Amino acid sequence: MLLLPCPNCGPRNVAEFRYGGEVHPRPSDPMAVTDDAWTDFIYMRANKAGVQKEWWYHRSGCGLWFLAERDTTTNTVLRTYLPRNGR
Amino acid sequence: MTPDTPFDFAFAGRVYRAQPGDTIASALARNGVRVLSRSFKYHRPRGLLCAAGHCPNCLVQVGDEPNVRACMRLVEPEMVVEPQNAWPSLGFDLMAVVGWLDRFLPVGFYYKAFIRPRALWPWFERFLRRAAGLGRVRSTTPPGHTLKKYLHADVVVIGGGRSGLQAAIAAARAGADVALFDEHPTLGGRLNITGEETAAAERAALLAQAAVQPNLRAYTQATVLGWFEDHWLPVMQGNCLLKVRAKAVVVATGAYEQPLLFPNNDLPGIMLAGAVRRLLHGHGVKPGKRAVVVTNNDEGWAVAAELLAAGVTVAALADTRLPDGGSARALPGVTVFWGHTVARGEGRGTLRRVWLAPLTEGGESARPTQAIPCDLLVVAAGSTPANGLLYQAGARIAYDEGIGQFVVQELPPGVFAAGRVTGRMGGDAAAIGRQAAAFALGETPNPAPIADDAPALPAPCYRPTPGKAFVCFCEDVTAKDIATAVAEGFDSLELVKRYATVTMGPCQGKMCAAASIHLTAAATGRAIAATGVTTARPPMTPVPLGVLAGPHLEPLRRTPLDEWHRRHGARMLVAGLWHRPEHYGDPTAEVLAVRQAVGLIDVSTLGKLRLTGPGVPAFLDRLYTTRMGDLPVGRVRYGLMANDEGVILDDGVTARLGEQEWYTTTTTGNAEAIYEWLQWWAQAGWGQGVHITDVTEDFAAFNLAGPQARAVLQALTTADLSNEAFPYLHVRQFDIAGVPCRVLRIGFTGELSYEIHCPAGFGLHVWEALLEAGAAFGIRPFGVEAQRVLRLEKAHIIIGQDTDAMSDPLSAGMAWAVKFDKADFLGRRSLVRVNSLGLRQRLVGFEVLTPGVTPEEGLQIVAPNGDGRPAIIGWVTSSRYSPTLGRAIGLCWLPADLAARPGAVFTIHRDAGPVQARVHHGPFYDPTGARLRG
Ligand code: FES
Ligand SMILES: [Zn+2]
Repeated sequence: MLLLPCPNCGPRNVAEFRYGGEVHPRPSDPMAVTDDAWTDFIYMRANKAGVQKEWWYHRSGCGLWFLAERDTTTNTVLRTYLPRNGR
Repeated sequence: MTPDTPFDFAFAGRVYRAQPGDTIASALARNGVRVLSRSFKYHRPRGLLCAAGHCPNCLVQVGDEPNVRACMRLVEPEMVVEPQNAWPSLGFDLMAVVGWLDRFLPVGFYYKAFIRPRALWPWFERFLRRAAGLGRVRSTTPPGHTLKKYLHADVVVIGGGRSGLQAAIAAARAGADVALFDEHPTLGGRLNITGEETAAAERAALLAQAAVQPNLRAYTQATVLGWFEDHWLPVMQGNCLLKVRAKAVVVATGAYEQPLLFPNNDLPGIMLAGAVRRLLHGHGVKPGKRAVVVTNNDEGWAVAAELLAAGVTVAALADTRLPDGGSARALPGVTVFWGHTVARGEGRGTLRRVWLAPLTEGGESARPTQAIPCDLLVVAAGSTPANGLLYQAGARIAYDEGIGQFVVQELPPGVFAAGRVTGRMGGDAAAIGRQAAAFALGETPNPAPIADDAPALPAPCYRPTPGKAFVCFCEDVTAKDIATAVAEGFDSLELVKRYATVTMGPCQGKMCAAASIHLTAAATGRAIAATGVTTARPPMTPVPLGVLAGPHLEPLRRTPLDEWHRRHGARMLVAGLWHRPEHYGDPTAEVLAVRQAVGLIDVSTLGKLRLTGPGVPAFLDRLYTTRMGDLPVGRVRYGLMANDEGVILDDGVTARLGEQEWYTTTTTGNAEAIYEWLQWWAQAGWGQGVHITDVTEDFAAFNLAGPQARAVLQALTTADLSNEAFPYLHVRQFDIAGVPCRVLRIGFTGELSYEIHCPAGFGLHVWEALLEAGAAFGIRPFGVEAQRVLRLEKAHIIIGQDTDAMSDPLSAGMAWAVKFDKADFLGRRSLVRVNSLGLRQRLVGFEVLTPGVTPEEGLQIVAPNGDGRPAIIGWVTSSRYSPTLGRAIGLCWLPADLAARPGAVFTIHRDAGPVQARVHHGPFYDPTGARLRG
């Protein structure tokens, strides 16, 4: 089981966390984007092989939503940090 | 626990005598029992082979527990041991005819035999089920008691042999907190069995050194099942699964002795040198009367000398080397055959004699020349490193021409290897232990590997002698089967593995992985290095599912009134982790009480959130499809939440308690998810000036509902409850029965009702006071079932029952709850599109026309399609008999055009016959809502 460093609590078993998916910021004015672009935003993910920015929630801990950079090919977490304006 | 005098146990229906310290296998060997099991496919007799837990031969059933390795389990008084896979008995196994039929069970028979004729398959299946499989799971066995424990260590050492002990002691001396795991009942590994005089002394010294280290914990009969990220190790110890987190891991798992490949190499009486030495020196048991030793290294000579010393006749020693290849010792009375190997074994049931053959210059065995009667053949023909855990940990493992084996080349951070697992005979394990401690304590990177000039492990010989030579004892795969698989086109190692099932049995490749590489290489004509290795995966040894599952524990949430409910005959219902009253005996009476007098329900399970701060109005307006930001102080409003797909997430009410304080409820089931959802949006950027606190467990909550609700409540408070002072959809805070409460005038049930939230600790007091005050008005507590009927009479939806992951508010008939004139909110963009495309399905009410029938929830709604056959056009999500209305009503999804026509009749498909129903719009009961506003 992976150890994930919560920016508040330090390294904890990944089972304490909820995965929140890859970071894909919401368009700031949804009405300004086309139907296709909106559909992409809702349903499409990059599913990157490599370093991915993603959300984690320290559910059984401090309740923090934070960001992690994780290499999806090796499952190594490079760093975790607090979000700034959703990214 | 362990007895210190001899005792009795049973095997295959007979009683035998065991000595203290015996394993099941050593006790049976002591009593001359040689056949322990029957093989998986051909039902050939099998006996003790490795005595080290590495092969499938000694799997037995102990009481209700199948697949116990007899050589690893200490025998206990009165233990009842049964052989497996033998029918009707071990000595006379009818299934052994399969052995003569082997040409009908070719390699890959799983995929090609028994397929035709199809009609015979059920017969084949019954036969195969009896023939295959290991052990019996008795369905009558009570569920076992299993445990789960967590353990942390700076350094974990896997393997308690000489190297493991040395590494563990050194790491502990360096100040690390060390945990040592060994799968055998006793520590010491090969020191227990070599019989060398110095070994016992060395073992005692190491154990003494370990014992004085308070920071060294040793676990025996503890099997490390695998390696997972960040040094997370599942360890099975009896019925307990230890979950171990280490900072550094030293793998000192040693090596697996390998069998030789010659016809009948599986006859009971053929044992690996380690098994012979364990019986001799570990248990004082003579493994046979007349032995032949075959070897390709010096160990065979040592074992021969030990057998002689124990009084066993050694008839011959065959050494595959030439006379100058090894250090010959004097073995009085033993005929030595240099440059010879065993060409075949013979015997019915057990070994009677072996044929020796000289080796040709190319290393093939020539025609057998000598037949030597014996009941024991000792195979001392090399070992292969037990590096599966290193492989799992990400070590680079490659073929080393010099050593003649696949050995570890490079280790990942925090992983160390000590002893024979490296492919060499020993090395400085203490230095490795110190390195591991330094890594764990200082997080220093792995140092350069210590130059190791220890001699290489003797490499096994994998050249098969033609005939039925078993490579894989688990699955009865022969050397010829592997050649056949390659000839049939399965020409890579991974394909051979899957087709022939070699390495896929209970031994997990310990006895056969290396051999299958060599045989595949030979058959494909590729180099060993290019043939590669198969992926090592957890678990390293078979593990009972119960051990993985652990104890069956589930958190349970009880409301503050739980005990009261149970005392008053409530039938409890599981709702997520909560237990809630379904009813108190008569749900119909409960419904009628609410409609005609007054009722009280415990709704403490609702999610409850406190929001504070100046940013809350804007935040709520973005999260709800309804308008929330302009909610005045003292008011309550229904709220509906959707996600950006436009799918309904949850609903509840929000009360504004003060200028900067809001109180929001969520549905019971979604409480946690909605809290996380709100937190996400708040923390991800929309939360300036917003504070969210989950206060679900701080408050007890009840709904007092019915025409008499005001009168009951008034008896317990001085607050003005008149409709003018406290109207519908308002919130007030006042004392009830002396307890400060927040009271919300809302009406899920359709009657005048007060939702009372009070500090959880006073819940029982307020609840009982309300029931007492209500007695004169005919009050009844009611449960979830009555509430479902009451809300259905009002056609209120339940999120998750009437809606699913595809339901949007417009289709669910809640367009009134979507405020398109608000600025951006979650779901708006998608709902604009839904609106412009028009609805396909709609959630709508129905009344049942067929008398006497209440259709079950989940039934399908059908209509004839073009060719006159019924097609599914919708489904029922809620359905109840309404005692108030005297007929069955419900909610269902229908095509939008049909749903739009009140009174339109449709058909619900039901096994007992079709049910007619008609579309109904709006609440079934009190459509104007006069009662709840009154
Ligand atoms: S003899 Fe017990 S596992 Fe090999
Ligand atoms: Zn945390």
